[in-house]
Amino acid sequence: MLLEYIAIGVMIALATVIAVIAIGLGELFGPKKRSSVKSEPYESGIAPIGPGTRRMPVRFYLIAVLFILFDIEVIFFLPWAVVFRQLGLFGLAEMAIFIVILLIGYIYAWKKGALEWE
Amino acid sequence: MDLALWIEFIIKGFILIFAVLTGFAYLTLYERRALARIQTRIGPNRAGPQGFFQPVADAVKLIFKEELTPAKADKVLFVLAPIMTVVPAMILAAVIPLGTQFTLPFLNRPVTLYVSDINVGVLYLTAIASIAVYGIVLAGWSSNNKYAMLGGLRSSAQMISYELSLGLCFVIAILLGNSMSLLDIVEAQKSVWFVVIQPVGALIFMVTTLAEVNRAPFDMPEAEQELAAGYHSEYSGMKFALFFMAEYEKMIVISMIAATLFFGGFREFWFLQGTVFSVDHFWWLGPIYLLLKVVVLLFLMIWVRATWPRIRYDRLMAFGWKVLLPLSLALVFITALGILLANQFGAIYIWTIPVLSILAGLIAVLLVNMSLRRKVAHA
Amino acid sequence: MTTLVETETLDLAARFPGSAAADTRPGYSDWIVNKDKLVEVATTLRDEFGYDLLSHVTGVDYFPDKMEVVYEAFKTTGGPGVLFKVQVPRVDPIEVPSVTPIWPGAEFQEREIWDLYGIKFTNHPDLRRILMWEGFEGHPLRKDWHEPFYEEDFKPLKSRWPDGKYVSSEDKNPYKDNLQFPQNFDPEKVKIDGEAPLYDTLQKYTTVDGGIKTDHIIVNMGPQHPSTHGVFRAAVVLDGETIVSLKPVMGYLHRNHEKIGERNTFLQNMPYTDRLDYFNSMSNNWGYSLAVEKLMNIKVAERAEYLRVIMAELSRIQNHLILIGMLLNDLGAYFTPALYAFEERELILDIFEATSGTRMMCNYHRFGGVSRDLPEGVLEKIRGLVEDRLPRKADEFDRLLTENEIFISRMKGVKVMDAEDAVKYSITGPVLRAAGVPYDVRRAQPYGIYDRFDFDVALRHNGDLYDNYLIRLDEIRQSIRILQQAVKQMPEGPINSQKPQYQVRVPAGEAYGRIEAPKGELGYYVISTGKPNPWRYHVRAPSFINITALEKMCVGKKIADFVVILGVLDIVLGELDR
Repeated sequence: MLLEYIAIGVMIALATVIAVIAIGLGELFGPKKRSSVKSEPYESGIAPIGPGTRRMPVRFYLIAVLFILFDIEVIFFLPWAVVFRQLGLFGLAEMAIFIVILLIGYIYAWKKGALEWE
Repeated sequence: MDLALWIEFIIKGFILIFAVLTGFAYLTLYERRALARIQTRIGPNRAGPQGFFQPVADAVKLIFKEELTPAKADKVLFVLAPIMTVVPAMILAAVIPLGTQFTLPFLNRPVTLYVSDINVGVLYLTAIASIAVYGIVLAGWSSNNKYAMLGGLRSSAQMISYELSLGLCFVIAILLGNSMSLLDIVEAQKSVWFVVIQPVGALIFMVTTLAEVNRAPFDMPEAEQELAAGYHSEYSGMKFALFFMAEYEKMIVISMIAATLFFGGFREFWFLQGTVFSVDHFWWLGPIYLLLKVVVLLFLMIWVRATWPRIRYDRLMAFGWKVLLPLSLALVFITALGILLANQFGAIYIWTIPVLSILAGLIAVLLVNMSLRRKVAHA
Repeated sequence: MTTLVETETLDLAARFPGSAAADTRPGYSDWIVNKDKLVEVATTLRDEFGYDLLSHVTGVDYFPDKMEVVYEAFKTTGGPGVLFKVQVPRVDPIEVPSVTPIWPGAEFQEREIWDLYGIKFTNHPDLRRILMWEGFEGHPLRKDWHEPFYEEDFKPLKSRWPDGKYVSSEDKNPYKDNLQFPQNFDPEKVKIDGEAPLYDTLQKYTTVDGGIKTDHIIVNMGPQHPSTHGVFRAAVVLDGETIVSLKPVMGYLHRNHEKIGERNTFLQNMPYTDRLDYFNSMSNNWGYSLAVEKLMNIKVAERAEYLRVIMAELSRIQNHLILIGMLLNDLGAYFTPALYAFEERELILDIFEATSGTRMMCNYHRFGGVSRDLPEGVLEKIRGLVEDRLPRKADEFDRLLTENEIFISRMKGVKVMDAEDAVKYSITGPVLRAAGVPYDVRRAQPYGIYDRFDFDVALRHNGDLYDNYLIRLDEIRQSIRILQQAVKQMPEGPINSQKPQYQVRVPAGEAYGRIEAPKGELGYYVISTGKPNPWRYHVRAPSFINITALEKMCVGKKIADFVVILGVLDIVLGELDR
């Protein structure tokens, strides 16, 4: 089994090498005429006001938190799906209960307005 | 662990990566020509016959472009971001079976037509696919550019939102195939493709993958009309090429995944089963069938891009969270129910799955329609 | 609604004894109002007499003794407008009360007058330069302001033809020799922060809401941005995706069209009007020739009237086709609708080319007629277009877009303007009609021969983006109706009532000629002193005036909506910046 992962490891190494070579080619052959105006961040041709990276709207954090909650639940589905045929009706009932619990949280989040993008 | 195995890994890895890279190059040409046909144009046809060398010309041009790094950008992350985006796209294909196996002449060595068949193949796909988000967020963050930051944020929020439904679609395929190994899933579709059993699931899968690879109509992060070029506004030359490459490679690989999970993978079309055109008969038919399916699926993506306007960001998030997520949850449940019924009362009951899923899908469409109309009435 | 006083003859002098008087200069008409009474007169005109739509505000420099601000308002129910003027002595500081509180649509026009004439408007909410940059010295439309390479006031410049050979004055005058600098000015040292006043007007909207502090980001959309249809810029304050505040910035394409117009002879101006809204040179010509023909008091040849209608309506169709196509581009549809729109536009441009010689800068109109007759076979081509291809095109777009779910979800319910605000902000053209005000110059005050045709004023009621799209389709269909009638009725005959001539004799006086251009009311306010050149040549550009309400339209909407709103406003920078 380990062998299969070694194969993937080899792939990762190859892919990284190719990506680095690609960037290297650009660095090697591309012209380099730096100037202060050129290295200014692009903002439609206007000198930007304020920093480019800063606090982001809180909405994005909410989405991230919700994602973590629900993604973990999706992960629980995967092993269940593999052995579902052995579990039979019991498995289905178990998962029904699980989905209901999940749905309660989901409806709560919806009603609280966490899914609104206003 | 012998040397021959290492050599096999390296050769197979190389071939796969080069296949994906060539695929990327010619997908750009394919897309441009197909778009041109749809838009009553001709498209690139100057470089070589039918524009055959256009991708080469593009690559050469990009290599000789000046690379700019904005002042106050995070230099390390700025270089790292494109690499982090492109590497997952290239290695994603490692677990996808391109065919069965064949025996190498002279050496008498059996060679499988996939780099690796890990027993958690589906999990691998979800895991690797989500790594690409980091590259995009980091690109947006490190550029010190407002468009790029907004684009990166949009993109990450969008990708993680759609990943939930994507994950649930994987669950559907696992349920039907009864395994996480992609090879097993393909073999399970020998007689009936999963798209027939779970058409709505396949549809959701294709919609969410559009969002995953940031293609129209979900191309928010790079919404040209709003945020200039989004997260890669500041990238030029080869670094930009890597982002571009990642997007197109992901398109290819995701089409391969869709083909594998729902359209029978490298397996022949069902009506060719048992004939000389079967993969069991000639091993080299496997990659060809897969390629055919990928080309068709890619055309669907291009077609969508040529016809549909972009969805507004808030609507897009609402669609992911309020429509696709509950719908795919319901589909998982329906699929499980159908399998259970088939196990208990006979194989014919497997057809409750498509009936119930299409019903669920219709209800979802109806609800969306009603809420849209209501919103309009409000405004 | 206040009850309107229906007066056939409006007598301001009787209503405001002592502070309003009839304008008695030869060739002039209407009223001169006392500066102190201006706000009162304007309010009365709007509320009592029903002149709710302020068409244009402009300045005139009667060098050397006085400045004049000219206002013209119309009723949205139709009919002629009322012209009133305020005269002030030409001694700085020149101050006139602002009418922006009464007609918000005057905001940008007053800023323009301040910018170009240096007339200060007291009580104006945001009096900054608009077309010139912050820190510009002087007010360029004043008669005593001279540009670099200045030679003389009127063209043709004598120096250009010393022995009948062309000489470029830039060669004679090396750079800087002719520049005027203020005292103690060193161009190397000076550094003007022209951005600060702009951002200051935005800052006041930056607030902290609730318990969590989120940054509001100031983002510049444009001038070099794919969505702004040219070098237009909007400084936007964003809260996440939502627009909190927005200020349009323009002038990147400013060339002082109006000063050039004053230098040119009357006829020389004709090709310059082409460059305003470069999509619709045929319509632009018409507005200008209307104004000058009014001054000259001449009739237009019958056949020429028909040719004008045909060309203007074809121009309107191709303009709306492009608008719909590019609008879909703004929505993120990758060029397909735009290219579909270009197909028929090319055919229309072919007709322009066959008739006038060029595809876009047609320079077609002449005072009293048009420059060329239709070549052989072109009328058949036009007939084929209006009877067959164009109606099919309109139907094709209808099928392709009108019922598309994504399209509907992006467009429906996103309010651009309601009727009341649209009138207040002097918005004209399709945007006004999409809000539910049936105001179309072709019907409100018919010019040319529009009273002979049977057509409806396209009208929609919701004023959202979707209606703004639908009204374009409606207008295409109405234009096709007009064209079908015009092609049938077109008489034979001469194409110009005047003899061909290089120089026209224009009696002294003022005239305002306005037409319904595809983008709104396009008007030319021309003053002649009897010389070969106009004393004042003002363009009422619909793009410019419609953009006044951009902030009001966009605040509270998403950044993606801003792009689309800008798209349906249908601005063209050649006209906006002039």
